[in-house]
Amino acid sequence: MNIFKLVARKLGTLLVTVFAASLLVFFSRALVPGDPVAFLLRGRKPSPEAIAEVTKQFGLDKPMWQQYIDWLGNLFHGDLGRSLQFRQDVTTVLADRLPVTLGLVVLAGVLIAILGLAAGIIAALNRGRTADRAILIAMTGLGAIPSFVGAIVLIAVFAVQLGWFPSYGSGDGFADGIFHLILPSIALALTFVALVARVTRSSMLDQLEREHVEVATSRGLPRSRVVLRHVLRNATGPILTVSGVLVAGLLVASSIVEQAFGLAGIGSLLVQSVDRLDFPVVQAIVLLIVIIFVLVNTIVDLLAPLIDPRVAAGAAAR
Amino acid sequence: MRALAAPPSVVKSLRLPRASGLFLTSLIVAAIMVVSAIAAPILAPYNPNIVDLANVLSGPTSAHWLGTDALGRDTLSRMMFGARSSLLGPLLVVVLSTAIGILLGLIAAWRGGWLDALLARIFDLLFAFPALLLAILAVALFGKGLAAPVIAMSIAYAPFVARLVRSLVVTERTRPYVAAYRVQGFSGGWIALRRVLPNVMPTVGAQSTLNFGYVLADLAALSFIGLGVQAPTADWGAMINESRGALMSGQILPAMAPTIAVVLVVIAINIIGEEFSDRLGGQIPL
Amino acid sequence: MSILKISDFSLELTTGSQACLLDAVSLSVEEGETVGLVGESGSGKSLTARAALGLLPGRTRISGSVVLDGTDVFSAGPSQVLALRRSTASMVFQDPRSGINPMRSIGDYLTESLILCNKWSKADASQRALELLRSVGLPRPEAHLAQFPHELSGGMLQRVMIAGALSTSPRLLICDEPTTSLDVTTQAEIIGVLTEQQAQHGMGMLFITHDLNLASALCDRIYVLNAGTVVEHGGVQEVFTNPQSAYTQQLVAATPSVFTRTVSVINPTRSAAALRPAPEPESARPAVMLEARSLSKTYYVKGNPPLVAVNNVTLAVPRGDALAVVGESGSGKSTLARMIVGLEQADAGDILVAGVSRAAHSRTRAERLDRARTVQIVFQDPYLSLDPRIIAGAAVEDALRLHNKLSHAQSRSQVLALFDQVGLGEKHANARPRTLSGGQRQRVAIARALAVGPEVLVLDEATSALDVSVQAQVLEVVQEIRRKRGLTLLFISHDLAVVRKVCETTMVMRRGDIVEHGQTKNLLENPQHPYTQLLLDSIPRPEWELDQPEVPLAPNTSSAQIIGA
Repeated sequence: MNIFKLVARKLGTLLVTVFAASLLVFFSRALVPGDPVAFLLRGRKPSPEAIAEVTKQFGLDKPMWQQYIDWLGNLFHGDLGRSLQFRQDVTTVLADRLPVTLGLVVLAGVLIAILGLAAGIIAALNRGRTADRAILIAMTGLGAIPSFVGAIVLIAVFAVQLGWFPSYGSGDGFADGIFHLILPSIALALTFVALVARVTRSSMLDQLEREHVEVATSRGLPRSRVVLRHVLRNATGPILTVSGVLVAGLLVASSIVEQAFGLAGIGSLLVQSVDRLDFPVVQAIVLLIVIIFVLVNTIVDLLAPLIDPRVAAGAAAR
Repeated sequence: MRALAAPPSVVKSLRLPRASGLFLTSLIVAAIMVVSAIAAPILAPYNPNIVDLANVLSGPTSAHWLGTDALGRDTLSRMMFGARSSLLGPLLVVVLSTAIGILLGLIAAWRGGWLDALLARIFDLLFAFPALLLAILAVALFGKGLAAPVIAMSIAYAPFVARLVRSLVVTERTRPYVAAYRVQGFSGGWIALRRVLPNVMPTVGAQSTLNFGYVLADLAALSFIGLGVQAPTADWGAMINESRGALMSGQILPAMAPTIAVVLVVIAINIIGEEFSDRLGGQIPL
Repeated sequence: MSILKISDFSLELTTGSQACLLDAVSLSVEEGETVGLVGESGSGKSLTARAALGLLPGRTRISGSVVLDGTDVFSAGPSQVLALRRSTASMVFQDPRSGINPMRSIGDYLTESLILCNKWSKADASQRALELLRSVGLPRPEAHLAQFPHELSGGMLQRVMIAGALSTSPRLLICDEPTTSLDVTTQAEIIGVLTEQQAQHGMGMLFITHDLNLASALCDRIYVLNAGTVVEHGGVQEVFTNPQSAYTQQLVAATPSVFTRTVSVINPTRSAAALRPAPEPESARPAVMLEARSLSKTYYVKGNPPLVAVNNVTLAVPRGDALAVVGESGSGKSTLARMIVGLEQADAGDILVAGVSRAAHSRTRAERLDRARTVQIVFQDPYLSLDPRIIAGAAVEDALRLHNKLSHAQSRSQVLALFDQVGLGEKHANARPRTLSGGQRQRVAIARALAVGPEVLVLDEATSALDVSVQAQVLEVVQEIRRKRGLTLLFISHDLAVVRKVCETTMVMRRGDIVEHGQTKNLLENPQHPYTQLLLDSIPRPEWELDQPEVPLAPNTSSAQIIGA
């Protein structure tokens, strides 16, 4: 019963947030002073035909709220409007680009999960010893490498100097595609590995200092059991939370990495569309990223009570 | 004996004294960057925008310590001038977001009730827009350059500061020393501004220091993808972008010099910020 | 053979200050015997207890030996140590709330070492867990197995922890302040469970406590630990009634008792009546200084039933008198105090200080200051009641200058005068709170309250976080000030023994209601209300001080009934 209430409330929050985000994204256009037609046709020839087309396409002759409702209605039908630069439906353009970005983000996610968790756990279990210090220093360094810096360094070393990996393009076919994604996914993962490692380490250290861990030790449980059952298990919450936040960071940073490696994904499409003043595409991608972020965080929120029974109790009480 | 070692819950103060050499080095690095940014017109050996097509991609020479770029411009001079936009942008964002964040956080915590709930909702909404995404949207709306991204990122970072301030102040206001001030007859405003706020400021300062590093990286990235600082103005991110052609042909210095500068500053800022937060007992959540 | 024998055990930190935490500690516990290890905070008693199980902090150097059931814990291999922890000795920790993993069920807690270490089957382990829960007097064992720690009260959770410690039938039970975070009636129940289990299984018990009364009621022999050294040991009555070392003498003297001591101790506590301000001329005789009329306060928390914190409380304290409000946690005594000083608003009723109504929220600056000059408060937590950033003297000066137009020099000299009154000097005035000890901080808090020049002083558990010797000193300061200034005192406490020392009249509260009210002496010697009787019966007292043998120390049957109710 309480679980249903919890799920219902989280879904409610999700819908409200997405709705508010859609308002923000749509009405951001109103912040730009001057004629919306001129804004949408920046950098293009304002021929009478073009003006008529844009006015019709965006319903610029209608009031703003009416435009919003139409836009929202179209969204539900999977119609994200038309790209000004490609003269295609935005949906089509996005669908073409989606696989590359997905591959990049998934590959980076796997790297982050494996390396970040491993580094954090090893550091925490060796607190104050050489391994911990080495990992801490390494993570301070990694944490200071923004993805574009990582991209430049990786290209300089592994693509240009050593020539092991391609530096540009998405490749052909599945295997070649993955091969082209190796350097980009590493560049994308670097900062986030450091983030996950730090959170894992501090969350575990926090638990290691708790009295219940000492109690478990005093009862003759072997160290490995104490760590698994009482430290790692209890440390999961913060790690999960940061993973949720991290998804948005990954999606945005992928635009930088895709741009650096010339990958034809959603991220580079975003940059290209800003560059070519193609506002409908920008609008669609921003909203897409926000929706994914909110969705992932709702899932994280729903997982929390499974990990910590007190969360469920607190949520039920509210 | 190691098998017997228990978690240090009995003796909590067993921390090694931290080697502060790293901290000092970081302060020196930050100071050098700031000085060369401020004094660039005096210190820089060349005009950063003078094109010398006879002398492109020279590599390090006695005349050009860090060589020249693809247009023959002096890399060192461009680095020094580039430090200006690279550091000023994050500084503006940090100052703006901290100011807004403190104001909103303090109001939310002290006023409580529906206002607190409303602000929490608005912050939640803004958290769904990563700072860099908001900056990109701002560029899409208002055009390239630093102005729109700086404002957008200030708005994006303010909720983080506000949430931190709120949680610190809420903890603080339940402490008996605040109750004692009340019982003594001090006004709520005096307690909030003169006593509680100064007590939470060190932690907020440490967080804002860390934010400076993140913002610097984000703004440099924006210039790197060509949406931030525009040519021919010198900027680290833009310089890296401009030198990609040279990089592909094996000339790594014009790209690497600004890359290293970005990494050095971010590392230095992280170490400084973490040292602050460590000295405060690790109150910063992330 | 002793089940536990610690010989010349020393422990020092190898880093930082090179502090020697334990210096040549020797003690032994025989089977079936209860041994007390008594000391104030920082004495090293917890370290000693943990060492018996091989639980030592990192980066320390040790010498001496700890022999548990014939095995030297320090030279034993890891697997031997694990075996000792599994079958020979177990430990009950102070705070079950932090000692039991909050994310795992009670059943998991009780069965994990049986299943994982002793290779029991799940069904057998659950069966054993049920028996254990029953034996420690928990009402619904089957239901509890599936519950999580946050669903149980502190007392119930401590029973769970005891059950967990007993699960492997240990021969030595180490209890580290197992009742310190509990109310006195719950403490009595837990002590009942412990003694019963010990008698049943013939275990040896090492009982660590700061409470001399509790140790004397429970133990056969005690060791007194001070700053890492055993200063005295022997039979409990011997140590208690005829202490040899100066430290033990001081400790015994500082330990308050509700009951009239049959033995003479050095520096006998002065009775409260003797400290009453000298009688004033009849004409100035007391109007009522502090009065509450039908005060009520209810808290509404979403999702929970309304909580009546204070229900229709009426009280009156004559000028210069001290009224104690006694109760366990949740009795509403602190809410009452906070309403009186204006930190909470009453739902109904009136508060009068010196005849002026103070129930309404102060709106103007003048009203606020006016109210502040009538009543001040000292809080419980010495670590949080001072502003961490402000030096102690400045905190007092702030209050002075808010209420009086003073030059810097004037306020400075007044600050020093106030510090002098609470037994502190100029160096304390210039110190930051974190460099002061708990007792010093509470003195600063008292000086800060006095700076405003109040007529009524509320002490909300102001000494309960302090060690007994420090508590005695701070109470002395309070008495002194009271006599000099003719202050009216409202003394909130859970500790009847302290109340006996300080207050002429006492009010007992329970769940927001006043259950009994009267002269402290009468109330303690001849309690009328069953709850007051229960409170008094729950207070541990040495066997040899029991005048009426028919008053048992927390009979297990009655504790079971209370929980069931």
